[in-house]
Amino acid sequence: MAEITLVEAVDLALAYEMQADPSVVILGEDIAKNGGVFRATQGLLDKFGPDRVRDTPLAESMIGGLAIGMAIEGLKPVAEFQFMGFLYPALDQIINHAARIRNRTRGHLSCPVVFRAPFGSGIHAPEHHSESTEALLAHIPGLRVVIPSSPVRAYGLLLASIRDPDPVIFLEPSRLYRFAKQEVEDNGKALPLDKCFTLREGKDITLVTWGAMIKETMAAAEVIVKEGIDVEIIDVATLKPLDMETILSSVEKTGRCVIIHEAPKTGGVGADISAQIAEKALLSLKAPVMRITGYDTIVPYARLEKYYIPSVPQIVDAIKKTMEFA
Amino acid sequence: MPGLKIVAHFEIPYYQILNEAQELVADLPSFAKDPAHLIRLYRLMVLNRLFDAKAIALQRTGKLGTYPSTLGQEAAFVGMGDALSKNDVIVPYYRDVGILIQRGVKLSEILLYWGGDERGNAFANKENFPYSVPVGSQPLHAAGVATAFKIRKEKRAVLTVCGDGGTSEGDFYEAMNVAGVWKLPVVFAVCNNQWAISVPRSEQTAAQTLAQKAIAAGFSGEQVDGNDVIAVRDRVTLALEKAREKSEPTLIEIICYRQNDHTTADDAKRYEKAKVREQEWEKEPIARLRRYLESIKAWSEKEEKELQVTSEAEIEKSVAEYLATPLAPLENMFDYLYATLPESLEEQRELLKQWGNTHG
Amino acid sequence: MIFNLPDLGEGLAEAEIREWYVKQGDIVKVDQKLLSVETAKAVVDVPSPEAGKIVKLYGNKGDFIKTGAPLVEFEGDNGSVVGKLEASSHVLKEDNVIIGARKNENEFIKVLPAIRALAKQLNIDLNLVKPTGSHGEITEEDVRKSQGSDALHGVRRFMAEAMSYAHQEIAAVTLMDDANITHLSGNADITVAIFQALIHAIKKEPALNAWYDSKTKTRILQHDIHLGLAIDTEEGLFVPVLKDTHQKDAKALRSEIDVFKKSVRDRTVSPNDLKGATITISNFGMFAGRYATPMIVPPQVAILGCGQIRKEVKVVEDKMAICRVAPLSLTFDHRVVTGGEASRFLAAVIHYLESAHD
Repeated sequence: MAEITLVEAVDLALAYEMQADPSVVILGEDIAKNGGVFRATQGLLDKFGPDRVRDTPLAESMIGGLAIGMAIEGLKPVAEFQFMGFLYPALDQIINHAARIRNRTRGHLSCPVVFRAPFGSGIHAPEHHSESTEALLAHIPGLRVVIPSSPVRAYGLLLASIRDPDPVIFLEPSRLYRFAKQEVEDNGKALPLDKCFTLREGKDITLVTWGAMIKETMAAAEVIVKEGIDVEIIDVATLKPLDMETILSSVEKTGRCVIIHEAPKTGGVGADISAQIAEKALLSLKAPVMRITGYDTIVPYARLEKYYIPSVPQIVDAIKKTMEFA
Repeated sequence: MPGLKIVAHFEIPYYQILNEAQELVADLPSFAKDPAHLIRLYRLMVLNRLFDAKAIALQRTGKLGTYPSTLGQEAAFVGMGDALSKNDVIVPYYRDVGILIQRGVKLSEILLYWGGDERGNAFANKENFPYSVPVGSQPLHAAGVATAFKIRKEKRAVLTVCGDGGTSEGDFYEAMNVAGVWKLPVVFAVCNNQWAISVPRSEQTAAQTLAQKAIAAGFSGEQVDGNDVIAVRDRVTLALEKAREKSEPTLIEIICYRQNDHTTADDAKRYEKAKVREQEWEKEPIARLRRYLESIKAWSEKEEKELQVTSEAEIEKSVAEYLATPLAPLENMFDYLYATLPESLEEQRELLKQWGNTHG
Repeated sequence: MIFNLPDLGEGLAEAEIREWYVKQGDIVKVDQKLLSVETAKAVVDVPSPEAGKIVKLYGNKGDFIKTGAPLVEFEGDNGSVVGKLEASSHVLKEDNVIIGARKNENEFIKVLPAIRALAKQLNIDLNLVKPTGSHGEITEEDVRKSQGSDALHGVRRFMAEAMSYAHQEIAAVTLMDDANITHLSGNADITVAIFQALIHAIKKEPALNAWYDSKTKTRILQHDIHLGLAIDTEEGLFVPVLKDTHQKDAKALRSEIDVFKKSVRDRTVSPNDLKGATITISNFGMFAGRYATPMIVPPQVAILGCGQIRKEVKVVEDKMAICRVAPLSLTFDHRVVTGGEASRFLAAVIHYLESAHD
């Protein structure tokens, strides 16, 4: 078992599934010879050849539509958008076709496509490379939105996404790509979609988060635990369909919840989670559900980038205020 | 003084076999030498036209939703449909009745779709893609299908159709571009009926022909007289063969005229000059083929009358079938969203069952 | 990643390698000196542009390298067309990741946040309130009802929980001794006298009038003396608190004691009056009992118990005398109070009582 990074885990999962299932093909810009700008598809061209590992012309809408056509025809394409910020031209294809084809043909046709993209800020890239607009996609009926936060979950959830018969948007937090290593067993075992992962059990407060913010949330937990507060940390992982059962069960136990996400506050998935907690767990709440999120601004350029996302002290403060509420 | 160096040329041929005066201006392809085959095409065009009129009538009497007429364009679609092989894939836009009825789609299904029921585009024949309303987005799907054929080393082709308006969409070019560079077995057919709702062809692009857009993508384009079903059928067949055999794409611009409003919700009188439609009607395809068939003694008034009767009967049957189709179960809204309904949606599905029938 | 020889200034076209400070396989830090080169003008050290492992050196001592030509190769590539990925050697250890929901073992209290706030405002323990709401929740009515008699209803339960907690928390030690109150008449207000003795003793030994927070290990000496008086009723034990007793005279104290005795009996004592004691007195000896080990209620650190006042033969000035004796038991929290402090405190109490007058 090797200790590998998140981006290496993506590569490993792709290699496993392409070996196991000849209908899996990958396409995108710079993914073949170059192995992907983040090396997420490194080595796959050599292993599986140019028919199944395709560099596309520079056209995102085309990547979307092409993959959809391939999927409807019976392949299992995993198409990459180089960054989430460049996925937007393909929204027509994703929303109007991928999300809809099963429904509108009453199941005669379906679209087992995976669209992968690095997302989120924190890598000091030029503008447009730091998008965290997963809420746009989570809003669309018929889509799945999956966000891994560790090498193990990247491996297992990508396998599950490829095997799922419906379209999945798989967003990889770019600032976690090389951040930490983890032992990942290359055994082809998928992790379940549509389920939250409780990373730490606790009885005082529930922290709900996903993507790269797991890092800050864990750091905040380490600080707050020293003050005697027992935190429970939930990695949502599949933003849509949302596993509210796990979140509600946790909030019933702790009575307190802070949701942390990098994406802008308004219309973020945190709002949906908060609303559902109010609807279904009001009687257990000892404090209002707080959301600690990115601002409703454009992500600043690299120099100010780090000030945009919630900081560890900010999260710690939210936890304390929630604990002190009543 | 050295001359200007020209690095590229292009040529766009125009094909016609049976002209406006139903004269043969080129050699008949072998299929057209068989009157029975031509009669089959004729019957389909007549059925298409009568069905079209019926659909409009249904819409005007509140029994059908918005419907896009195919009047005057029958040869384009019937010709294309006849050229397709069984295991070719068709990726249509939304006027392609003439193609779909040759591939197992029932008239009642077509009515069901425009009547507002998803079952109307749940085609049993999986080689038929459903209609595509986002204009120009479907050629990319065709390119995807063709890629799959190539990867699986299958000798099959894809035909995709869009209107003249669709050729301005970025997706249209992106599809052609990848088809050219990846050598995909796709035939891009453009049904140029001269109008994109109210925007005439001349305002759609400065390109002299739509066919030449293929040149920019690195493959050949051609124009065909869309009122000449023989030429359409011939050219599309050849292009599909080229796709299957050589894995090369082609763009075929089928030139015809939209003899009706864009859809039943449109009023072309607001933008179309009065006389043009009548002038274009002189070239219409059904009369042209009928006169030719009559000239080779393959068709008569008697057969014409019979055809009208049987076509009407077939159409009536399909209308009755359509009108008798009850509403789909409300839960269908949920049941085809994913392969398996996620747990998180079960609550809403129950809500629909509880409240769905309270809308009066 | 290949590091090319940078322009060392003044448009110099090349440089000679004088000496390598690193070799293949070394791991270097940013700015660490890689080698020294000699240009036409000077000998210059070239620092490393990044942290990483050296994979290849392009040239040996004495070789000439052109400006812009490869100098050193670092391991791996950045693998990023834009930006910089932060790499760390941090290894993620995730043990016990739970997928999906688990059943909650404990029942939680169901109550609307607004009602929860109301209960807090009224100082009502929700654990003691019986829910009657249609969702199994505690309603506003439930809370208000428990303000009156229902609060008293739960007193026994509260006592059970409080005593259990006290027993677990406190390092209790009890000092026992007698106060000779023979000189006080039978009508004397012994209770008030003991109150005053306490107040007096606290002034001498303030350590026993304090609150202790075991979580933060903080002792807060209390300036004010709020005396809790343990009163026993059918419903159970009540400890109303006489506030600011250090400012009250005997008459005031007596009158307040009587008011509380009545309000406890009538079940009109308010929850506020049952809070805030800095030290407690328990006259447990009404029916029987001489000495005891009374229980301290945290966060207090002491409680003085008085058993049944009795006549007893004692040695007074080397002679036997029949005396009236008040047996005193002082329990103190030895986590915070020393034996010396407690002993001096008790001595002060006894001294006061033995010199008191009617």
